[in-house]
Amino acid sequence: MNSTIYKKKSPLAVFLIPAFLFMALFLYYPFAMNIYNSFCNITGLGTAAEGFNSPWYLNYGKLFQDPIMNTALFNTMLLMILTIIFQVGIALLLALLIDNIKKGTQFFRTVYFFPIVISATALGLLFNLIFLYDGGMVNQLLLKFGVTDMIDWKDEAHFLFTMMTPVMWQYVGFYFVIIVTGLNNISPDIYEAAEIDGASGFNRVRYISLPLLHNVLITCLILAVTGALKVFDLPWVMMGAGMPMDQSWLTGTYMYNQTFTMGDVDYGSTIAIVIVVIGVVVSQAANRIFKEKDY
Amino acid sequence: MRTADTREPARPHGVRRRVQPGKVLIYLVLSFWAVTTVYPFLWVIMNSFKVKGLIRSDSFSVPTGDSFTLDNYKTAFDRVDISGAYKNSLVISAAVTVVVVLLAGFAAYGMARYQFRGRNALHSLIIASMMFPVFSTIIPVFRMMFGWHIVNTNSVALSQLSVILPQIAGNLSFAIVVLMGFIRGLPIDLEEAAYLEGYNIYQIFFKVIVPIAKPSFATVAIFTFLWSYNDLFTQMFFLRYKDAFTITRLLNEITSIAGVNYGLMAAAVVLVVVPVLVVYVFLQKNIIKGMTAGAIKG
Amino acid sequence: MKRITAFILTMALGSAMLAGCQSTPAASQAASQAPSSEAAKPVEITVVTSYGGDDGNRANYEAAYKAYETATGNTVKDASGTSNEEWKAKIMADFETGAEPDVLFYFNGVDANKLVQGGKVVSIDEIRKTYPDYASNMTDDRLGASPADGKNYSVPVNGYWEGLFINKKVLKDCGVEVPGADYTWDQFLKDCETIKSKGITPIACSLQEVPHYWFEYCIFNHGTPATHPKLPASSTDEVGKAWAEGLNDIKTLYTKGYFPKNTTTATDAETFQLMADDKAAFAIDGSWKIGWFQENAKSIDDFTVTYVPGENGRKSTDIIGGLSMGYYITQKAWSDPAKQKACVDFVKAMTTDEVVSTFGATAVTALKNGTIAKSDTDSLEQAAMAMTKGATGITPATQDGLIQTARTALFADIKNIATGKTTAEKAIDACLAIKS
Repeated sequence: MNSTIYKKKSPLAVFLIPAFLFMALFLYYPFAMNIYNSFCNITGLGTAAEGFNSPWYLNYGKLFQDPIMNTALFNTMLLMILTIIFQVGIALLLALLIDNIKKGTQFFRTVYFFPIVISATALGLLFNLIFLYDGGMVNQLLLKFGVTDMIDWKDEAHFLFTMMTPVMWQYVGFYFVIIVTGLNNISPDIYEAAEIDGASGFNRVRYISLPLLHNVLITCLILAVTGALKVFDLPWVMMGAGMPMDQSWLTGTYMYNQTFTMGDVDYGSTIAIVIVVIGVVVSQAANRIFKEKDY
Repeated sequence: MRTADTREPARPHGVRRRVQPGKVLIYLVLSFWAVTTVYPFLWVIMNSFKVKGLIRSDSFSVPTGDSFTLDNYKTAFDRVDISGAYKNSLVISAAVTVVVVLLAGFAAYGMARYQFRGRNALHSLIIASMMFPVFSTIIPVFRMMFGWHIVNTNSVALSQLSVILPQIAGNLSFAIVVLMGFIRGLPIDLEEAAYLEGYNIYQIFFKVIVPIAKPSFATVAIFTFLWSYNDLFTQMFFLRYKDAFTITRLLNEITSIAGVNYGLMAAAVVLVVVPVLVVYVFLQKNIIKGMTAGAIKG
Repeated sequence: MKRITAFILTMALGSAMLAGCQSTPAASQAASQAPSSEAAKPVEITVVTSYGGDDGNRANYEAAYKAYETATGNTVKDASGTSNEEWKAKIMADFETGAEPDVLFYFNGVDANKLVQGGKVVSIDEIRKTYPDYASNMTDDRLGASPADGKNYSVPVNGYWEGLFINKKVLKDCGVEVPGADYTWDQFLKDCETIKSKGITPIACSLQEVPHYWFEYCIFNHGTPATHPKLPASSTDEVGKAWAEGLNDIKTLYTKGYFPKNTTTATDAETFQLMADDKAAFAIDGSWKIGWFQENAKSIDDFTVTYVPGENGRKSTDIIGGLSMGYYITQKAWSDPAKQKACVDFVKAMTTDEVVSTFGATAVTALKNGTIAKSDTDSLEQAAMAMTKGATGITPATQDGLIQTARTALFADIKNIATGKTTAEKAIDACLAIKS
């Protein structure tokens, strides 16, 4: 970026200050409170700290000995990997396919957006009815095929599939919209030029679309990583408090559970910090590996 | 939605104007995914017209005859002042969307185009704030705003403000990250051309960047609007009195207890979702318009 | 690495900033209004209750406060919500910042300890010095004294009981008698075995989500109404042993296969659906569940409610029940001469015999004269009323004495005790070790 336009730095203040002022007041300051809280002893949400923990790093010690935290981290990492492969992967595939057709694009774009719009409570209810042990849709189908031994979709053998599938499915549309927007930013002239050079189909995707989508894909990657760490509502509605037998915790649901249902606010704050630290480290690593290109 | 392909160069082999097997496959794949996304929506709509109690025993059938009912909607309309709640939702979400798109556009442009010390630190801060769980920031925010005397007041406008402010902050980081990705992908030539024409930096932003990246801004606007609209948690915390309730908050009130009346819940979901879809489709059209408007004329 | 360092530095800066912000004493900013000249002038009082949204009593509550508005000319600014952890958190945050309501309908157990200890609410004795007939229609030792100092602060409306809900149709099909007041634990186990052998789930309960009621009664079965509310100091003292034995009773029920097959993965809603679908025979739940049966049962006459079978020192007719919530007047409103009388009148109006009776006629009550019976009760409500009338002892739930963190931790461990992942003693000690 060696353009002379951006040598003069004074407009930067105008560009950056308003947004960062908002974030400082409503995000960084409260989160700093959160860091402070993680060293304190707080007996209920909405109540003030009753002084520091002794030792002050008590919660951090607890974190490393907490088997449930290990489960939550493991599941979240798994979710992150699956998210990148499936959510972003399927979204990219669909976006590229849509780019190749003329009829019905408007329709597909609208319906792919549906899952993001419907509230997680409703989707949770829907998936619960699909996977219900006693009379759920899948088990009813199995009955029709003569399977008499009902599958408990939330038991220890099946819960990962039952929990991950809806989460995967719900956010494909989200990445799809972002990628399609990125494709739209590619000027038609470039394709026309390519077409004249005889590049079409796969080559067009490989040599034009993907390289030009590079930055958008990096964005998706970062969103996928941060999203996986925070994911909360659908798993919470479907799997409740870590069912089965505390196996399905994620960092997001565990933090919520500690803060709200357990009322252990300081430990909840500690988990929140872990979420943020991991997210920053992983997304920075991703950024390094896939170095953003500036034009 | 590209407008190319009007003149196809002749190819050495293969006859045009025939159904290509490739296209069929593409449509099959796309339609399959469409089925998975449309079905839940249909399911919710269907169940919102079902007689209470049928949903669990028979939730995957079409409501006809005896099982068809409008009761769920009647109940919803009887209990609450829906139009007022829509208005409140619209005010809050529209305000949040406008401010977020403007400020995030500014910040993303600054971050994408300028090299300055501390840029990486700022970038990390933005990423970090995307993950701050709202559960852990809400109480300090509540106390801070109480100090400003804008929460727990009788005024509807102040109640709305107390939801708008934290929501703006909460959506900014996401919007900045996405817009940065888009702006980085824009070729810089246009800006340089405009600069040579004698545009100043703000004119470049408004007259070059915004028009080219209109679809990106629209996308961010859609997501922001949607999240603000559906963000129950913040609304629960700051909206105390009925006259300031948003539609999401209001319908949650109806469906929160006992949770056995699935039909009512489905009706509530439909009432919440339909306006959003209308907004989305409307904005979609705009994106298309934005597409056809090409680059600026120097 | 440079970026991480930068990030940490920024965070450190943030903390430094925060140290500067620490000095705003939020609680001291309680806005005190100037006393008005005339006490008779209509005032607006703010009220927070748990009668929000779709609460079964929402309509009763609205009717009652509207009647008060008409009678006094005062207006009620109602900010009721749904009773859950977020609602509690919001209320606590309000008190912390000095934004509390004038009148609060809230829990009277350990949940309110902070309000009592912080002097945020006014005791009934204090109010009676000025208004001698305050809560005079109630029996004082039933008001639900605060565990913090044993004094009464809140005036209850309707209480709750916990009992054994029974699907009579299932029992008939299995050839099992409908239990009565002299039903014992051993008979209950025999019946469960019979029902199980017919291929039906004996007990509808989700150990994953709501083991609360079985926990309560299984422990009660190793104590008496007098000892039951006491908390153990360790798993080896007398109460601790009772707890361990009770928890092991749950384990027995689990290993014999009396719970649903998916009891560790089912939700409470799913297990109760078994009752409605005639796939389960017994369930323990509270008085608030009656509405669920009225809503979901094919025929309400297929269901009844009775005493939970007892053993050892507990008679089957000793029940768990009490009054867990009540109206508080906050110190802030009490010390405001303009509002004081309006608040007192409000609580009085909300707790008259007539109003309390509309809020659930089957429930336990603190009214001296008892509730006025409704005329159109169904068979389940009648069974419930007969049960509370015939009770030989009523004792509050022991779990209400535990702080939230400890209680949740213990209930999360019940599935682990049942499946043998941990022992009852370990779980009890872990729960008691949680002090905050």
